[in-house]
Amino acid sequence: MNKNILLSVDDLKVYFRGADGRASKAVDGVSYDIRREETVCLVGESGCGKTVSALSILGLIPQPPGEIVGGRILFDGRDLLPLTDEEMQRIRGNRVAMVFQEPLTSLNPVFKIGDQIAESIRIHRKIDADAQRQRCIQLLEDVGIASAEERLNAYPHQLSGGQRQRVMIAMALSCNPELVIADEPTTALDVTVQAQILKLFKVLQQKHNMAVLYITHDLGVVSAVADRVYVMYAGIIVEQGQTAQIFREPQHPYTRGLLSSLPTRSKRGQRLYSIAGSVPDPAHKPVGCPFHPRCPHAVQTCRERFPKMCDYGKGHLARCPVLYTNRNETA
Amino acid sequence: MTPQASYQSEAQPLDAPLAPQKSRWEEFWLLFKRNRLAVAGMVIFALFFITAIGGLLLTSGVDPVLDPSLVRLQEKMQPPLTQPNLDSLSPGQAPYLGTYLLGTDELGRDVFARMLQGAWVSLTVGFVAVGISVLIGIFLGGIAGYYGQNHIRLDHLLLTGTLIGGAVMIAVGRITWGSGLLVFGSAYLLFLFFQSQRQIESLPPSIQIRTFTIDTLIMRLVDIMLCFPTFFLILTVVALLPASIYNIMVVIGLTSWMGTTRFVRAEFLSLREQDFVAAARALGVGDLRIIFRHMMPNAVAPVLVSATIGIASAILTEAGLSFLGFGVPPPHATWGNILSDGQNYIFDAPWLTFIPGIAILIVVLAFNLFGEGLREVLNPKLRER
Repeated sequence: MNKNILLSVDDLKVYFRGADGRASKAVDGVSYDIRREETVCLVGESGCGKTVSALSILGLIPQPPGEIVGGRILFDGRDLLPLTDEEMQRIRGNRVAMVFQEPLTSLNPVFKIGDQIAESIRIHRKIDADAQRQRCIQLLEDVGIASAEERLNAYPHQLSGGQRQRVMIAMALSCNPELVIADEPTTALDVTVQAQILKLFKVLQQKHNMAVLYITHDLGVVSAVADRVYVMYAGIIVEQGQTAQIFREPQHPYTRGLLSSLPTRSKRGQRLYSIAGSVPDPAHKPVGCPFHPRCPHAVQTCRERFPKMCDYGKGHLARCPVLYTNRNETA
Repeated sequence: MTPQASYQSEAQPLDAPLAPQKSRWEEFWLLFKRNRLAVAGMVIFALFFITAIGGLLLTSGVDPVLDPSLVRLQEKMQPPLTQPNLDSLSPGQAPYLGTYLLGTDELGRDVFARMLQGAWVSLTVGFVAVGISVLIGIFLGGIAGYYGQNHIRLDHLLLTGTLIGGAVMIAVGRITWGSGLLVFGSAYLLFLFFQSQRQIESLPPSIQIRTFTIDTLIMRLVDIMLCFPTFFLILTVVALLPASIYNIMVVIGLTSWMGTTRFVRAEFLSLREQDFVAAARALGVGDLRIIFRHMMPNAVAPVLVSATIGIASAILTEAGLSFLGFGVPPPHATWGNILSDGQNYIFDAPWLTFIPGIAILIVVLAFNLFGEGLREVLNPKLRER
């Protein structure tokens, strides 16, 4: 196995059982790799399984109703799924940390932020209170909070949204994790703060030599941070590749649709493109390619057979055999 | 100076805190202060506290300053503020302040001293009973709220049945059968404790049948307890147990935890879904730490409110029990039994009834107002804008 691969999710399947016993296939056979010190983006619409696949890395899927039906999650060569709760707790926050979407609600309102940052250190590292405090100040300075020492005694409601997200990042970094999962960390922030946070991620990533799994639905963010991109649709990966490959030569009709619905300067005054239809209900997915009801290129096979990944070279893969054969025929 | 420049000069550094640097307590106090009645309630609460503790110091010991059980038959049923007839009393019998502040009762005992002694009883009964009920409430409510969605498996039920059955058999004298069941039960318990999830999953499926959820178990227990008319339940229990102040506290505590349980469960159900709980879990925080360090401080507000009001109702219950003669045994004074003794002389010595009655009224009212005030401050939805 490649030593350079930090996390390898292999054919992960996470289903949620509804009250009627039907399985809602939130993640249905997803595979992705994250190399050390790399930023990987997971892109997709709301409800396509991005967050669920990230939460299952940390074993945070509520079971029941959730159920990890199959697959492996190899972190540093070790499968995380069969681990017990205690073993998982030693990994969470310590080697894999997570930054959540809503900085406004992700901090406990009744504790000072210093205590909250120190908590993870207290759990995972055996160091005395003074060292903890120094570490907290260091972390707050790292994430760009001025007068860090005084800020340790602030309560979350005394901070702005951007500052809170910085505190969340400081909490995630507190034990020098090898992988940080960022679940739409900038969605709740305004654009200027968003840019600052993205920049901060880049800086910290280089400083701490960590890999980042960045989950977002914002293609602008993707182009700014990602080394490689995985595009998800309805619980599966439809396209993957280097950021430049995905943005310059999108191969899957869904990725193409996403990119052409971005407003650009050349499209000024025109009506924006939108993908017809809506995301399928994860409990009643269409047979065959899950995208076929919305796909402008759909043919009969799309309705019958689940599409295979087609290789475009240099790590660029897309799950659309129809366009692949079309391209090869015209070439 | 141009507006631009003045803006520049007054601009705060970017890192200045955006919210006022006020601590939570200062903020609470500002809001609380606006409710006059609640402040009055709090003042009376504090006075009552001081009085009760002072009363304990003054009325207990071998030779108390104010002796609540000193009988002076020649001075019986003196109205409040009468001077004692010092000629008929031995020097040790004279009241401390040179006057019967609140009069004397039918045995010539100083009502002021008895009220002080009773205040301590009311205080301890109130606090201990509510303490017990809050502990039970937080424990059961926390379990129901946090672990509530887990199912109780059939083998858990069988195990409980086996253990109880074994204990009962030993109790009725079938030692061999009983101890057999107990040993089997404990062995299975140990097995469950040490086996991993996977090994338990390999048990025969018929035993793994899920029955009902933990939430169902606890909340139906609450419903059942709420069905009993509490006061009569307490009366029955007290009639069976030897009369003592501790039994009363425990019994009142054991019959008043249902409200707290419901509150805590409701709070936990909503807190469990909060992002900060998920964030804590993502940091590797364990279940117990999440429950007690992260969720409990967020859930105490309604518990505190219901506890304050619960103290009032515990005091009232104790007074009611003492009034009916089931409470704290006679030589010890409580407000309830002063009231109960006094009612026989309501026309000759009305102060014997009115003084404890009004004291109970004021204290209970003060606790209720204080509790309501707290509720208003702690629950932003009830705040007046």
